[in-house]
Amino acid sequence: MTDVPIQMRQDTTQDTTNERFRGGSPLVDLLSRGGLAIAILAVLVYGSLTSPFFFTTGNFVNVLTSMAIVGIVVVGMTFVLVVGGLADLSVPATIACGAILSLALQPVIGPVPAFAAAIALAGLCGLISGLLIGYVGINPIIATLGVGTIVLGIVQAAVGGVIVYGTNPDTAALVKSRLFGIPVIVLIFLAVAIIGHFVLSRSYWGRWTVATGGNCSAAEASAVPVRAVKAGAFVITAICSGLSGALLGLTLQSARPLVGTGYEFSAITAVVVGGISIMGGFGSVPRAIAGLVFVQLLTNVMVLQGVRTPVQGFVLGLLIAGAVALDVALRKRGGGA
Amino acid sequence: MTMLARLVRYRVTVILGLTLLVASLTVPGFLSISTLSLGLDRGATIGIIATGMTVLLIARQIDLSVGSTFALAGITAVMLQPAIGIWPAALAGVLAGAAAGAINGLLSVVFKVNALVATLATMLIFRSIAHWLTDSQPVPGTDIMLSVALSKIYLEIFTLRSALFVGAILLLHVWLTRTVAGRNLFAVGSNADAAEASGIAPGRTVFLAFVFAGALAGVAGVLQSLTTNTGSPVFGAELIVTVIAAVVVGGTRIEGGRGSALGTLGGVLTIAALTTAMEFQSVPAYIQQVVSGLILILLVVLDRTVRPGPRTHAAAGASG
Repeated sequence: MTDVPIQMRQDTTQDTTNERFRGGSPLVDLLSRGGLAIAILAVLVYGSLTSPFFFTTGNFVNVLTSMAIVGIVVVGMTFVLVVGGLADLSVPATIACGAILSLALQPVIGPVPAFAAAIALAGLCGLISGLLIGYVGINPIIATLGVGTIVLGIVQAAVGGVIVYGTNPDTAALVKSRLFGIPVIVLIFLAVAIIGHFVLSRSYWGRWTVATGGNCSAAEASAVPVRAVKAGAFVITAICSGLSGALLGLTLQSARPLVGTGYEFSAITAVVVGGISIMGGFGSVPRAIAGLVFVQLLTNVMVLQGVRTPVQGFVLGLLIAGAVALDVALRKRGGGA
Repeated sequence: MTMLARLVRYRVTVILGLTLLVASLTVPGFLSISTLSLGLDRGATIGIIATGMTVLLIARQIDLSVGSTFALAGITAVMLQPAIGIWPAALAGVLAGAAAGAINGLLSVVFKVNALVATLATMLIFRSIAHWLTDSQPVPGTDIMLSVALSKIYLEIFTLRSALFVGAILLLHVWLTRTVAGRNLFAVGSNADAAEASGIAPGRTVFLAFVFAGALAGVAGVLQSLTTNTGSPVFGAELIVTVIAAVVVGGTRIEGGRGSALGTLGGVLTIAALTTAMEFQSVPAYIQQVVSGLILILLVVLDRTVRPGPRTHAAAGASG
């Protein structure tokens, strides 16, 4: 018992001096990647054993559709975590921005320009957060919390704080339609995911993102534009959430200001459960999506089992805390040895 | 530059003065004693939570879950009333808040989870528990008259809530400036390694700071539930931005190691004055949110740009 505080103090020192992720340990890699695959399999088996509806096409189309909306945000959030930006809490605001504006502007400038304008404005919000975080050096959580509050307020004020309804049924039909039996939304999500994956893993920007998250000073010394890269991650997330919100608005044909509440946590949970370190410098889009698949299947099984919504939130919270704690523990074992 | 830096240091007084001036010019009767009393009572909820948050920010930590703790403590206090009586239930509510803080402390000290992420997760967890316990319905208390008694105004200006808040802030001021433990808190916040080398246990200090913040969020939640005679799972959902804004207006830095209790008092009074003035002008709630968001961002930017000292990228990424 007397040893505990000493142990604790040692760990604190180690934590502050050893903040970045020391990746590359095959053991850690195998554990987090293999663990997730096993977990997904376990949920699949459990779901198909306990519910007759689980293994039906209808159910999987449902899962995929609800996954698509969060999934687009997850792609952006991956960039934020990899660059070491902790998290983007302005996602509910940018989703609301996308959803409300894409519907509210329809009668004024037509459906397609409204769609584009909604996403562009969401991207602008991301640019503001990005400038504050990358160039002014403000803590990302505080910056996105503040910017999100402001943006949500402005969007609400712009439409008078009411629910906005769609006026163009054609757009709804287009978004809800299917191509080869796959909902269009899912195809859009896949396209975003593939682009995101190639940008992160194959492009200069992606390599810069990983380098900045891994060791910011070293990256800066190697002439990586770290400030722009950091800011860029938040712009990417905002554009993704704007797109996601616009699609959500078109699907529902109505948008209320709080339409995006909770999406930030779903996205963060997916990325963190995918084994991407909150400390940055490491991670890929497919990993994050694997995390998303696991979380979505788990939620689906819980819904089919009749587990109440609060309990689902509880499980999500536990997953975030557990995944991050596990990441810290694994990192210490992998990096410190 | 020095002029600007001085302005930043005494900004609470400047901002509070300006707010009161503008408010009294635009809102008729704003400076009457009853309005001030109302404003102070409104600010007390934010203020009690902000008192705990000041300690956490000085220790270079943060608690995003205070809004959920607030709701959970209130629900505990109301739901236990029929079983164990009003005052024991109120105590249980405060203890529930302290327990929530202990969980945050445990996650961040023992499991080394970044405080921002840990409290993000517990914010979700505590809120879910609150919904779970109440079936997402508001729960009524047993004694309606109690809320009337609690809203009684003493000495023409203080209600129980606002008196508690002012008392807590003054005690915290003495503790931060006059005691060894208070000085240790600053040491841990500005440099945990150096503090440890000087024989302070940073882990224990941080843990206790979390418990303190949780307990105070609990006190605020219990008081809210007793004055409204209701426990609701949606209470406190939008508190966090306002609370952090109030503390940051008061000059406490998010980067840790710097801050003051009296500054927080000024920050809370500023926010309370703003809110009251805007309510008198019937400004919609979402515009009020915009204003507190703007204040928060402006002041954090001011902190980063004006104050002299080394600016590192590490501080931007990982100040949790």
